[in-house]
Amino acid sequence: MTEPLNQQYRLNLMLCAGTACVSMKSFAIKARLEEELRRHGLDGEVLVVLTGCNGFCAVGPVMTVMPDGIFYHTLTPHVIPKLVEEHFLKGRPVEKLMFTPPAEKAAVPRLADIGFFANQTLVALRNRGMIDPEKIDEYIGRDGYRALAKALTEMTPESIVETIKASGLRGRGGGGFPTGLKWELCRKAAGDVKYLVCNADEGDPGAYMDRSIVEADPHSVLEGMLIGARAIGAAHGFVYIRAEYPLARKRLQIAIDQAREYGLLGEGILGSDLDFDVSIKQGAGAFVCGEETSLIASIEGRPPEPRQRPPFPAQSGIRGKPTNINNVETWATVAPIIERGAGWFAAMGTAKSKGTKVFSLVGKIQNTGLIEVLMGTPLRKIIFDIGGGIPDGKAFKAVQTGGPSGGCLPASLLDLPVDYESLTEAGSIMGSGGMIVMDEDTCMVDVAKYFVEFTNDESCGKCSACRDGSGALLEILRRICAGEGRLEDLDTLAELCEVIKDASMCGLGQTLPNPVLTTLRYFRDEYEAHIRDRKCPGKVCKPLIRYFIDPEICRGCTVCARDCPSKAITGERKKAHVIDQARCVKCGVCLEACGVFGISAVKIE
Amino acid sequence: MVTIKVNGRELQADENQTILEAARAAGIRIPTLCYHKELTPYGACRVCLVEIVAGGRPGLQAACLYKCAPGLEVSTDTQRVERARRVVLELLLARSPESEKVRALAAEYGVTGTRFNLAPENCILCGLCVRACAEISRRNAIGFSGRGPRRTVGTPFRRLAATCIGCGACVYVCPTNTIEIEERD
Amino acid sequence: MSKLRVEDLERISQRVRKMTLLREGAGRAKITVHMGTCGIAAGARGIMNALMEEIESRGIEDVLLTSSGCAGLCSQEPMITVEVKDQAPVKYVGLTREKVQRILAQHVQGGQVVGEYALARGSERPS
Repeated sequence: MTEPLNQQYRLNLMLCAGTACVSMKSFAIKARLEEELRRHGLDGEVLVVLTGCNGFCAVGPVMTVMPDGIFYHTLTPHVIPKLVEEHFLKGRPVEKLMFTPPAEKAAVPRLADIGFFANQTLVALRNRGMIDPEKIDEYIGRDGYRALAKALTEMTPESIVETIKASGLRGRGGGGFPTGLKWELCRKAAGDVKYLVCNADEGDPGAYMDRSIVEADPHSVLEGMLIGARAIGAAHGFVYIRAEYPLARKRLQIAIDQAREYGLLGEGILGSDLDFDVSIKQGAGAFVCGEETSLIASIEGRPPEPRQRPPFPAQSGIRGKPTNINNVETWATVAPIIERGAGWFAAMGTAKSKGTKVFSLVGKIQNTGLIEVLMGTPLRKIIFDIGGGIPDGKAFKAVQTGGPSGGCLPASLLDLPVDYESLTEAGSIMGSGGMIVMDEDTCMVDVAKYFVEFTNDESCGKCSACRDGSGALLEILRRICAGEGRLEDLDTLAELCEVIKDASMCGLGQTLPNPVLTTLRYFRDEYEAHIRDRKCPGKVCKPLIRYFIDPEICRGCTVCARDCPSKAITGERKKAHVIDQARCVKCGVCLEACGVFGISAVKIE
Repeated sequence: MVTIKVNGRELQADENQTILEAARAAGIRIPTLCYHKELTPYGACRVCLVEIVAGGRPGLQAACLYKCAPGLEVSTDTQRVERARRVVLELLLARSPESEKVRALAAEYGVTGTRFNLAPENCILCGLCVRACAEISRRNAIGFSGRGPRRTVGTPFRRLAATCIGCGACVYVCPTNTIEIEERD
Repeated sequence: MSKLRVEDLERISQRVRKMTLLREGAGRAKITVHMGTCGIAAGARGIMNALMEEIESRGIEDVLLTSSGCAGLCSQEPMITVEVKDQAPVKYVGLTREKVQRILAQHVQGGQVVGEYALARGSERPS
């Protein structure tokens, strides 16, 4: 497993093999690199290393050349021969493959100088792009398992709990409950048998923080769990990971196998009296497993439905035993806190939200990717300095934080610091770190409808408030989007939202109204436009929009008429065309076709 | 025994008792739809919600599930409780407009019509039948399947359940008369 | 593989230390071999090989070895630039395997610039 690492290499090519880059052919690029290196006789001095997610998914596949830190992006197998010859043989970095920020002309050669990376602070993602996640020695080489050694030799279980408490670390999975306190409750719970769980189910659409951590640095999660096992007195842990994450599961299994071989899992870990092992439990991808009691039901082999708390899992969890559940990012943050001390961690962030937070930045954003920033970083900095702003010169409209049950925040809140309290006050949540950016072409009523569709579908259906409440919300939102809304619907929506929050059994129901409540709060004018004027300001809701051709602009090129799937466009060559509204299905193909030729005669109203 | 307060009144309760049991024993009425004293409480209908004022997890909690604890203070009739019950009943009425039991309880809270539009279905998914089958008859012939809007009660794979003995316990507990017993030769 | 003890972690770290330093770009010194077409024609490839072998045989771990393009003095290739941390870079010209060995021993390891092979000290770039 740990073949001797060749010490002779002068260059390491850190090629990203996270899921996003793999889907863009990282593995083929690796093969091509190795082939070309061999051809030039460089295979003994240049090593290709597959790493986990580098984070800059928008421009993948990406590769960083170390030690120089030169960053290449959007690689394809066919650019490799030239790259190998120029850079690795002749020492001339290839500017064409370097990143040029959209607003600038000159390429930025080094990763560390690119705005996307320069504004980040890495704790949970400390090893991303620096190690091969399938080699435990590389993790150890970057001080891996030192925190565990410290916890075993220099600390008592009580002092570990105290350190985590003093660090101010709070659950990164959504709830934001103080981690140290959670550990203490489980530690003090009566019983000899206790369990740990790492929640890697990550059900939010568009979010992939946990997947990337497991893919890039699985040992960071295992080390956190080992320290937790020592603190809490648990001998077994489960990693609950969704079946849709095959690469993460594979790398985690490799990490578990290697840790067992080194005796870092098993009995008498590092010569101490700590016995701990981990097993992987595959989930079928249910959003409701974000709720701890549902997750426990699933681990026990029952359908994932929540139950009443108290008793809390710390008192009665898996098989009725005290159980401590943290999510991937929380576990990955434990080791650095133990190694560097509570004060180091507590010095970062805001008064009540300490440290850093990982976000997946997606939607209408230039630099789609995975980022880690200090708690309290303003939304504006995340979206514009790191995210590179909105593509195609469009205006920012809203950002949704916290996944499908988070709130949508408007431009007036761009200076809001991202921490648990500020987000809650604004009507949103931290959630596990999804961040979806929306531009001017977004309809906020449609967005609310979309997320309620998701949560309604993901509701387990056990309690009436969540199941039928989300169904009723959805029916009203669909009606408004169809131009059949009534003004009194807005009060009904608001009241129903409050009751769903109040009356639902678990976190899924208690948070699902957030997208509706925040859009009502910040974008009420859009609801009113749909209802009163029968207009969709974002030009999204099909029943409320109409496509037409401006006869002054149309040159009669016939492209739109040929592309129209419902044959709704007629007109002679070189004469203005017309759309038959009765036949138009509002698919938008004509708009796109017209735009391709830079004419833009097709308009929406 | 522990002392709890319900609507300002001090009650003696057993620590294993739920708020609902303690309140009913003292003659305080809390409405329910998915509760039966012989079955494990389930917390699905959300009609028995009460407000925890002190000494517990704050907010609205299902009285049928929440256990009594020293210092627990509960209100069964605050505006917040009434609003939640009213809207939940309105939802259930939209779901099961024909159910006598739902209509009667809704009317008690002033709900005679509904603003909501759900595909009408007699079953309110209270799960009494499922629990009666499992806990009283010990047959496990019916259960839940599907999730969210597609959740239903039925036999495994919608076929005749091999374990069903036709005892009728499910029919007896069903509050909406959704299950019918069919006699064949 | 036997079960690790606490002290084994350090042993493994040492084993992979060169790799770790390389990836952090954090060596004590950096040697750049100028490998433009002119450099390669003049034997830069051989100099690179010699450096790699020497670094390996001397057990040097904290020196990064990299390549760059033509340094602009094609007539004096093969050339290298040696940058010891916190000191001005030194360019060496007209190199051979023997000269490289001496530069490694005297400059990189010993801290004394080999004046007779050096072209210039400092960088031509404004600082």
